[in-house]
Amino acid sequence: MRKELVVALAGNPNAGKTTIFNALTGARQHVGNWPGVTVEKKEGSLKHNGHNVHVVDLPGTYSLTAFSLEEIIARNFIVDDGPDIVINVVDASNLERNLYLTVQLLEMGCKVIIALNMIDVAASRGIDINADEMADLFGAPVIATNGKRSIGLDKLLDTVIEQASDPDAQKDLLSLNYGFEIEEELDKIETELHKAGVHDTFLSNRWLSIKLLEGDAEISKKIHSIPDHSRIFEKVDKSRKHLTEIFGDGPEILLADARYGFISGAVKVSVKVERRDRIDTSQQIDKVLTDRFLGPIILLAVLYTVYMFTFQGSEPLVKYFEFFFKWLSETVTDLLPDGLLRSLIVSGIIDGVGGVLGFTPLIAFMFLTIAVLEDTGYMARIAFMLDRVLKGFGLHGASMLALMVSGGIAGGCAVPGIMATRTMKEPKERLVTILVAPLMNCGAKLPVYALLIGAFFSSSKAAIMFLLTIISWGLALIAGKIIRSTVLKGPSAPFVLELPPYRIPTFKGLLIHTWERTWMYVRKAGTSILAVSIVIWAMMTFPDLPEEKLTPFDNQINEITQSFLADPAVKEFFNSPEDIEKFKEYQKNFQGKNRKDLAKKDPNLASLAVALEELDTTGRSKSEVGSSALMAANAYLNFSKAKLAVEGQKQRDKLRYTIAGRFGTALEYVTNPLGFDWRTNVALFGGFAAKEVVVSTLGTAYSLGQVDPDRAGDLSEQLRNEPGWNPLTAFTLIMFVMLYAPCFVTLVVIRRETGKWRWTFFAMIYTTTLAYFVAVTVRSVGLFFGLGVS
Amino acid sequence: MSPRTSKKRCFNCPSLHHRKCLAGKTMRLSSYKPGQKGKIVQVCGDPDFRLRMMEMGFVYGADIEVVKYAPLNDPMEFIIKGYHVTLRKDQAADILMNEPEKAA
Repeated sequence: MRKELVVALAGNPNAGKTTIFNALTGARQHVGNWPGVTVEKKEGSLKHNGHNVHVVDLPGTYSLTAFSLEEIIARNFIVDDGPDIVINVVDASNLERNLYLTVQLLEMGCKVIIALNMIDVAASRGIDINADEMADLFGAPVIATNGKRSIGLDKLLDTVIEQASDPDAQKDLLSLNYGFEIEEELDKIETELHKAGVHDTFLSNRWLSIKLLEGDAEISKKIHSIPDHSRIFEKVDKSRKHLTEIFGDGPEILLADARYGFISGAVKVSVKVERRDRIDTSQQIDKVLTDRFLGPIILLAVLYTVYMFTFQGSEPLVKYFEFFFKWLSETVTDLLPDGLLRSLIVSGIIDGVGGVLGFTPLIAFMFLTIAVLEDTGYMARIAFMLDRVLKGFGLHGASMLALMVSGGIAGGCAVPGIMATRTMKEPKERLVTILVAPLMNCGAKLPVYALLIGAFFSSSKAAIMFLLTIISWGLALIAGKIIRSTVLKGPSAPFVLELPPYRIPTFKGLLIHTWERTWMYVRKAGTSILAVSIVIWAMMTFPDLPEEKLTPFDNQINEITQSFLADPAVKEFFNSPEDIEKFKEYQKNFQGKNRKDLAKKDPNLASLAVALEELDTTGRSKSEVGSSALMAANAYLNFSKAKLAVEGQKQRDKLRYTIAGRFGTALEYVTNPLGFDWRTNVALFGGFAAKEVVVSTLGTAYSLGQVDPDRAGDLSEQLRNEPGWNPLTAFTLIMFVMLYAPCFVTLVVIRRETGKWRWTFFAMIYTTTLAYFVAVTVRSVGLFFGLGVS
Repeated sequence: MSPRTSKKRCFNCPSLHHRKCLAGKTMRLSSYKPGQKGKIVQVCGDPDFRLRMMEMGFVYGADIEVVKYAPLNDPMEFIIKGYHVTLRKDQAADILMNEPEKAA
């Protein structure tokens, strides 16, 4: 007896395969209603009667014809890995269509056990299935199961072990007779295969012959590796032609028809349908939810709720995360001495990775809402209602999900959005969706919008945000249309979407689903983002300003410090630059519990600190402290401001001297028509790491030092007063940020999901080109109407 | 609304060289009204589409009931072989049907 049995789970989408998998292995896995949610290969192990059973959950497919990625994955696993047993999970309430896959599995020659699932649902619909009769007809054991209540699973496993250990089991495979003419041709091809030295292995030659006759591309490729293949293909071509002539239809159609013929015969014999006036609950619900008038209204309400829940629900957690990363970077700043290492860890790693991880709660909430939509079955209805709109643009009803997640309601993220396209079966539509998803207003673009809107459109924030949402949708759709009619020409794939029955999602299922997807996002943030963050940090740090350019700044700071120390008002508090540093430290600790202790220790400094606090908050002192402290505080404040200004200028010059800065300066020729100077260019370059970096880089470039994207008030103020900045420039920049090259995380995901660098580069180049042209247009039109002359 | 006229479509139909094309003598599924039921007579279109349809249960003689049209009139929802599925109208136009029975 083998040590470990390999069992594959195959079945239609929505047949309850995932539920059975969870019940068998106890593995954490998602159960959804969106057809085809299990694209990834999921595995789990269990012990039954002393046998180790390794279970592989194959993607849900309607057939094994190798049309879609899922079908190829499922079939290749069976062909290449040769599982001991294939458990075919069949939805008893939807028998005929489900059995098509069963027939195909049996035809392959693998040992199949049919798990007749959801038999309770079938019973409630008056469908009575005679399992023994069915087992006889199909030549495979049939076990009634209920994944949700773990019924029939022991018997299923008993049968698995019994069938696997019996070498003679299912020797008499179901051999569907396709009729005289077809059988004759199949025989001829089989003979030819034998002659070429192909012998029955795990896969029968009969199955190979059937696939060849069907003109199956994958199998043809395999046969091509045989030295003697030309004769085989000659024969196949002849047979195909011959059959097409007789029947007026391709053999693949004839065979499919014959399979369904067999199935309906089998169902007639083994299933009794008791006619009763059953109420189709889902259909009743759909009377409201996809109603011509109510449907769209409810859809809008649902989308709005998703939006509100995602943002408002996650807000406290997002704050918490931000707080954590801020604390982390402050702690590290305190622990490490000023220098390159600190800069690398704080500005490169913590800010880079933290910026992305900071979104985690938001992403988790969004995935939770999507899980609810999927698991209830409403997602398919969204596709149903919106397909008419999307298909005009070369997209698909199912693109809706990906676009929404990517930021269709402002604040998503293209990374999970692109991952969500896995639910799409149509390669071209899927690719277009992947390519346009980054145009949506993701959460990282929002701080940039917030900054610019705050600075120039503060009176109409909501209106502008709404306008931006509309614009990004419009441009994404138009871009989709253009890509679809140029680079990705071709007829649209059939929109065959199952509308699964509504189901109440389980709490556990929702959490598992949310957790898995969120974790995937976090893992991405931890790996590739780290590497690129460091590269981008390096490009924005090196080379350092040469000594002779740094000294003027240092001298200036020295001068300011000296004249501050020379001020008679501060003599009482400060005597040397070290005193200033000491006071900084003192001021930082001067809060909470420490306050009293510190005040006792050094009442002099305490009075100064209090004076500063009062000046800072109220602008005037309540004369709680002495006038000498107040004067010193005033002087200190002025000194700090002056010093900060010089340091800001130093930072700005440093940035300009770096690789990124030079790059930005060189690009001024190109970005002049947009009204962007080197500062904006560098910021946009930084935005390649993550869009919100645009804000902090602008801060540096405008001599404000690093600016916290969430508290960009000072920067807003600065930009408003900066020559060359006006509402038109701001809007041009907003448009550019909305459209230009996706951040590199997105690009990494595009590479992974399309499998091609070609599409990754295409995504980068076309978006930037689009951004450029839209921005130029916005600016030209604006200038034409006399806007933006400041 | 479908841009393809029936004649042109059938002229282009690559897989019906020999079998008699029945378009013109039959109804198209896209012309069924909600609540109408009927049987499939033929599935036109390119072989990939036809095979896909057959695998989803759209075989000759299968019963189809039109449930409804989407709010924007496209796609359509059907019940076939006991499950609900949606198809765009231009695809449904490739499915040839007999005269619909009166809805029960």
